[in-house]
Amino acid sequence: MPSPSATRRTVGTVGRHAFLLGAVAIMILPVLWALAASFKTPGGIFDSNPLPSPATLDNYRVATRDFPVWRLLINTIVMAAGVTLLQLLIAVPAAYALVRFPPRAHRVLVALIVITLLVPPQSLIIPLFLTISHLGWRNTFPGLILPQLYGTGLAVILLRDHIRAVPSTVLGAAVLDGARPGEVLRLVLLPLLRPALGAVAILLFITAWNEYLWPSLAAPDIDHATIQPGLGAFLTQEGPEYGPLLAGSMLATLPIVAVYLLASRRVTDAFMHSGLR
Amino acid sequence: MSVKRTNVEETNVEGTNVERVAGRRRWSPVAAVALITAAVLAACGSSSDSGATAAATGSDQKISVSFLSYNYGTPDIGGKGTQALIDAFEKAHPNITVKPQGVAVADVLTRLQTDTAAGSPPDVAQIGWSKMAAAYQLLPIVPVQDIPTRADWNAAMAGFSQHLLSAVAVDGKVKAVPYTISIPVIFYNADLFRKAGLDPTTPPTTVAEVKKDALAIKEKAGAQGAYFAVVDSGKSDYLTQSVIASNGGREVGPDGLPAFDQPAAVGALAAMQDLTTSGAQPAITATNAVAAFGAGKLGMLIGSTAVTASLQKAATGRFELRTAGFPSFGSRPAAPTYSGAGLAVLAKDSAHQQAAWEFIKFLTSAEGFTIITSKIGYLPLRPSLATDPKYLAPYFAANKLLSPALAQLDSVSPYRSFTGKRASQAVVAVQDDAVEPIVLRGANPASTLSSVAGQVRGVLGQK
Amino acid sequence: MANPSLIAGERGADHAPPVARLRDRARPWLYLAPLIIALVVWVYGPLVFTGVLSFMSWNLTAPHPSWLGTANYSRLLHEPQFPHAARNTLVYAVAMLPFATVVPMALAIALWKRPGRVSTVYRTLLFLPVVLAPVATAITWQFLLDPLSGLVNVVAGWFGVGAHNWLGDPSSALYSVLLITSVKVVALNVLLFGAALANLERGLLEAAALDGATEWEITRHIVLPHLRRTVVLLGMLSLVVVWPWIFANVAVLTQGGPSGSTDNVYYRLFTYAFTFFDAGTASAAAVVITGALALVLGLGLLVAGWRRRAIA
Repeated sequence: MPSPSATRRTVGTVGRHAFLLGAVAIMILPVLWALAASFKTPGGIFDSNPLPSPATLDNYRVATRDFPVWRLLINTIVMAAGVTLLQLLIAVPAAYALVRFPPRAHRVLVALIVITLLVPPQSLIIPLFLTISHLGWRNTFPGLILPQLYGTGLAVILLRDHIRAVPSTVLGAAVLDGARPGEVLRLVLLPLLRPALGAVAILLFITAWNEYLWPSLAAPDIDHATIQPGLGAFLTQEGPEYGPLLAGSMLATLPIVAVYLLASRRVTDAFMHSGLR
Repeated sequence: MSVKRTNVEETNVEGTNVERVAGRRRWSPVAAVALITAAVLAACGSSSDSGATAAATGSDQKISVSFLSYNYGTPDIGGKGTQALIDAFEKAHPNITVKPQGVAVADVLTRLQTDTAAGSPPDVAQIGWSKMAAAYQLLPIVPVQDIPTRADWNAAMAGFSQHLLSAVAVDGKVKAVPYTISIPVIFYNADLFRKAGLDPTTPPTTVAEVKKDALAIKEKAGAQGAYFAVVDSGKSDYLTQSVIASNGGREVGPDGLPAFDQPAAVGALAAMQDLTTSGAQPAITATNAVAAFGAGKLGMLIGSTAVTASLQKAATGRFELRTAGFPSFGSRPAAPTYSGAGLAVLAKDSAHQQAAWEFIKFLTSAEGFTIITSKIGYLPLRPSLATDPKYLAPYFAANKLLSPALAQLDSVSPYRSFTGKRASQAVVAVQDDAVEPIVLRGANPASTLSSVAGQVRGVLGQK
Repeated sequence: MANPSLIAGERGADHAPPVARLRDRARPWLYLAPLIIALVVWVYGPLVFTGVLSFMSWNLTAPHPSWLGTANYSRLLHEPQFPHAARNTLVYAVAMLPFATVVPMALAIALWKRPGRVSTVYRTLLFLPVVLAPVATAITWQFLLDPLSGLVNVVAGWFGVGAHNWLGDPSSALYSVLLITSVKVVALNVLLFGAALANLERGLLEAAALDGATEWEITRHIVLPHLRRTVVLLGMLSLVVVWPWIFANVAVLTQGGPSGSTDNVYYRLFTYAFTFFDAGTASAAAVVITGALALVLGLGLLVAGWRRRAIA
């Protein structure tokens, strides 16, 4: 006969799985629908039946043969990786430095950074566009990437929060051991920040990946265009090409899934190891 | 998303105003204003060097024409047809290279605005008619008719639908040449007609018949009846203008101000509302209606011929798709307006303007329209091609879907734009605040149209 | 709030030679410099430009913007659209809060409590909604919510709920857009809460469990307090991060309609700038939005400060 606490644990486990399964079901329904629809015929997509019958690979053929999907994906990877790396390179030292300021200065600086997050990006587009046109940076990667540093504040705020959560004893010990600030950052803080860096990197990469308006203005040339405005090309005046659009976006998920698996290993590793610390 | 005009003259006058203000007050924003002006001027100034590269006019000299097209590069028939047109042109004109640029259809005007601001507009651009008036005002468009000699123009345009040319002309001059043109028709599902006991060879010709047949389909075939796509998801008002004009009214008056509060316009929208309230028309958006039609669950779809090929693809192997002319109100002749795009020239120097004209001349020639119609599915604007065995007679013998629209080409009414630089705001107000609530949600036609007309007059009068 | 140990490090520097002290003083600024440069060049500079433009009439291509004074602002505040959009924005923001905080936090805690292969699978599946391109997501929901044959209405029918035009009815359109978007917000914030939980030492829990604390007590007294700051942070950040997603859904599915019911200030700003090519009014909207948010933030900080002082 099981003890009351064991019963409670079993109920808890069942409840936990029910909760997670329910959430997963609701959340991946649209992804599964889109995946199935990417194999439907032009007429079949309008049917209520969520499964493709008959199934076809035509949409993938159109997306890869009549549409430069691979080139767009490579451009987008370069852009998103560039934005992510630059933002992290700027944000990590900045977040570390921020917590070293006395409270009053710290608060003012944080406020100035947070304000940059409140500005609607759509309103920055016009001056940013004029700037890169003037520099002759349209249809170049610098023109595509550098203006997107306007969002760096987000990474700083997120990382600052994680740095503050690092137990002060850890950093204090390092300082007492005579480590210089640069060494504290590199040798002590960065390893501790791995899960946070992984999560923030995913967030930044996806934000850049999903950018529509800026790439459509900054790099309209197909040689430098990115996937999001590229997918817009399927919504044509002669009737939207839903099937190829969904097939194209399925291919476009692959790089993000790869980034997630790569970066989330760091997040989950940390989940596993944090108990051992 | 249709966008209209901005008054260029007015901005220029006010430009001097800036300098006056700047001279009178000496405080920091003035400096910033000067800075902006300088930056903008510099951005515009940097454009001059691109023009200098092409001083050559000689016919044997190489020259390139950049062409912005929302059809180019799309993965469907539009992209392939446009490529075919460019290839055929380059073969016929080895000295001219076309540099095509693709753009999402919703972004055309934004792209042209920003390209112009960056100093590098394309030489030729495909611009939708609902955005044309705005383009004339916002962009440095060179009227196409001004480029060739009179004799050259007349020779090139012989055989073109003169009715359409005069419909698109501004003050008697063709500024942009009609290119990919469509007009609204009735698409209908012949299988549902048969199921409802109707004869698919005698489709409805009036709005009243549409309603009668739609109700029959709803009752006997278990499907939705008919859908007039007046509530356009792109907020374009071409179908609104079509139904109002067919009822003898106008959405936009001759003065560019609202005329949609007049009885004929009220009657037209009341008829649209009656379709919904009677159950003949489902209260859904145009996007949903296209999906329902594609699924074989809607008897009739009244919309633009632009989507003919796409609907045909959806119908293949599922139901028989047919078309009929745009329905009339009683005995008054139907007067649909056109949608689609024209070709405008933004080239800066005369060499590129001449090359642009050669390109446009080809695109709108008999050979050009043969490709446009057979590959992309837009109307041949040289109607005689449809019976010319050298050109489109074989196509029309096999494809009947475009014939009803072609028959109505010479009764189209002009697409009319509101006046002033807030015209696009006015169109959105008409579609969002009047057409949609009236047609889909039972708002009172007369009082809604009159209050929105007042609102639009206020918007148009603003600076 | 500065980390005490690091301040101690700075204090230690007071006894160092002057040059070294100067270097230590300058170092935080050195680390901060790239950020300051990036934000001045790409945010504050353009913001000043936007501020000036908000007093002008300009269509992006006319050679001279013309001076209008405050006309753009009075148009914004007197036409019904912008105030209406502002009210909707508030509804979006408030209704999104639970999806940015409570829901993903509960999922993250459930995943964190029992690490292992199963949790990894759950975590990956939960993340999937984020990877689908915004246009594709919107198109998918357009089909799922189709009033005549959408899957959502089919399922609702099994439960005896009649067909509903989710996106076409002004009373349900905003909440439909909100729920569609919330899927992505939940997915992303599960990840961010997970990263915050990685800092929590499991040893604490094991000790508490040995002391006989129940699951709920552990969650209530150890896990939740640890996440308190993350909840506040992600709650506030969701008000910033979520708009591009709402924007994409509105642009594809409703274009702000029906009857302006899904409009919001960001979509309005875009409409002014890129549908009407009215850079002046768009800039005025940007200034109003930024100002209002900064005001909210300032008030929030003030209240937080008062509370801190009251407790102290």
